Amino acid sequence: MLPYLLYIDPGSGSYLVQAIIAAVLGVAFYFKTIWLRIKLFFGGRKKDNQPGNHKEDEQV
Amino acid sequence: MAGKKTISRVTIKKMSRYKKHPASYRDPSGFVFEQDDIYYRQVNKPYAANYERLIKSGLYDLLVKEKKMLSHTEVEENLTGEEDWYKTLLPEQLRFISYPYEWCFSQWKDAALLTLELLQTALDHDMILKDATPFNIQFADGGPLLIDSLSFEKYDETKPWVAYHQFIGCFVAPLLLARYQSADLLRMFQLYPDGIPLRLVAGLLPLKSFLNIQVWLHIRLPNMLSAGTGAVPKKTPAFSRKKMKHLISNLFSFVQSLSLPTIKTQWNNYYDETILSDAYLNAKKKIVEAWLRELPASTVLDLGTNTGLFAEVAALTGKYTIAVDADTACVDKLYNECRKKKITALMPLCADITNPSPSIGWDNTERSSFSDRMQTSLTMALALIHHLVIGKNLSFDQLAETFSEFSPLLIIEFVPKNDPRVDLLLANRDDIFDDYNEDAFLKAFQEKMIVLERTMLQGTGRILFLMKRKD
Repeated sequence: MLPYLLYIDPGSGSYLVQAIIAAVLGVAFYFKTIWLRIKLFFGGRKKDNQPGNHKEDEQV
Repeated sequence: MAGKKTISRVTIKKMSRYKKHPASYRDPSGFVFEQDDIYYRQVNKPYAANYERLIKSGLYDLLVKEKKMLSHTEVEENLTGEEDWYKTLLPEQLRFISYPYEWCFSQWKDAALLTLELLQTALDHDMILKDATPFNIQFADGGPLLIDSLSFEKYDETKPWVAYHQFIGCFVAPLLLARYQSADLLRMFQLYPDGIPLRLVAGLLPLKSFLNIQVWLHIRLPNMLSAGTGAVPKKTPAFSRKKMKHLISNLFSFVQSLSLPTIKTQWNNYYDETILSDAYLNAKKKIVEAWLRELPASTVLDLGTNTGLFAEVAALTGKYTIAVDADTACVDKLYNECRKKKITALMPLCADITNPSPSIGWDNTERSSFSDRMQTSLTMALALIHHLVIGKNLSFDQLAETFSEFSPLLIIEFVPKNDPRVDLLLANRDDIFDDYNEDAFLKAFQEKMIVLERTMLQGTGRILFLMKRKD
């Protein structure tokens, strides 16, 4: 490990990490929404409450 | 500190009376201090705007109402005499302080989920949680509670969560190690109270854990990035409320999904498959309960509580009970049962009394030792001494000394040598315990205590004693 790393607040590195994670989650969320629409279109009405379920909607 | 010119006689008198809490030095927003055995929190001037926001936005009221945060009252007096003083808070006083390295898996998980809920609720009020350390969480009334009222600050939508790294190292890392390796690794937090390094976590987690995309995102990826050149981008990438929402809900479902594989430990089925009969347990329960009801004790320490059968008896007689066991699976079972049954006067805790938590931190004063915090009015050591004397080679004298230091009252069970449990302990070792008998036991304990009651437990040869410390 480079010695100067000791002087970098671990929090600042986490900004980049969070940006990447948020991007990944954003993409996943996008595809999940599309997938749910497809499911809904092909008679996925059995689980009526699922698409509207706040938590389910956003979990990736 | 107040400058010399501004110190009046009154403040000099006051300053000599308060004592800053040794662990309360990290955050310039304020600090905790003790005066006349009461704990206060001072809010410093630089934090004034954030404190007012916490109160005026309704965030404080909501969190207190939902029992997610410790309540306080404002004291309109500068008790410390410091120039930086903005407000003095008198928090609801806690009966007992536990440290995260003494928690079981479910306690960690509940504390982690509470931290995320606090973050979510704060965002709804345009504030954000700036600290995510389990040291800010205590268990009171059966559930986790935020005790640091200065943990929130104004939310800036363009910035990610400032405490993300801390949350991963302090909550997610220990939970993952427990989930994939062993719940005993939760105690590792004692070595890394600022968070377990991700490099270490990544090394300790088995390969199969990396099939979990969340582990990859929150452990492996940051670890890979930090192992790179170390170059930190000059411009931090812009964040947004929506991104924050995704991050929180992802962390929430991640933590929620973690659970311990069901394992059978040495102790967690002790009562189910024990050779001890129901008649014996019921008789013991009756005697212990009767004694507890009569005794003028407000707090009880139950050592080697197992799944807390007798700690529950104590708690149900209205005494605040700290139930200690070295087996994390037992403590987990007890904690979950207490939450289910809403037994709030019971505090389950993981600790090995033959190697209890030491005092740690700067100057060994930040977090006090197990023995320093276990001052109770009554100690129970039921079906325990044979494990300590025959299992661990401790002497009766050592036990008498330590138990009498915990509390002025003691309920202790003597398990004789012809007991089937003692036979099991001696099965694979030489019997070097010629002095293991009631007379030697009493001789040692009577050095420190006076025997008030002695009751034989029918059909077992075991004897219950009620003792009082010599003063």
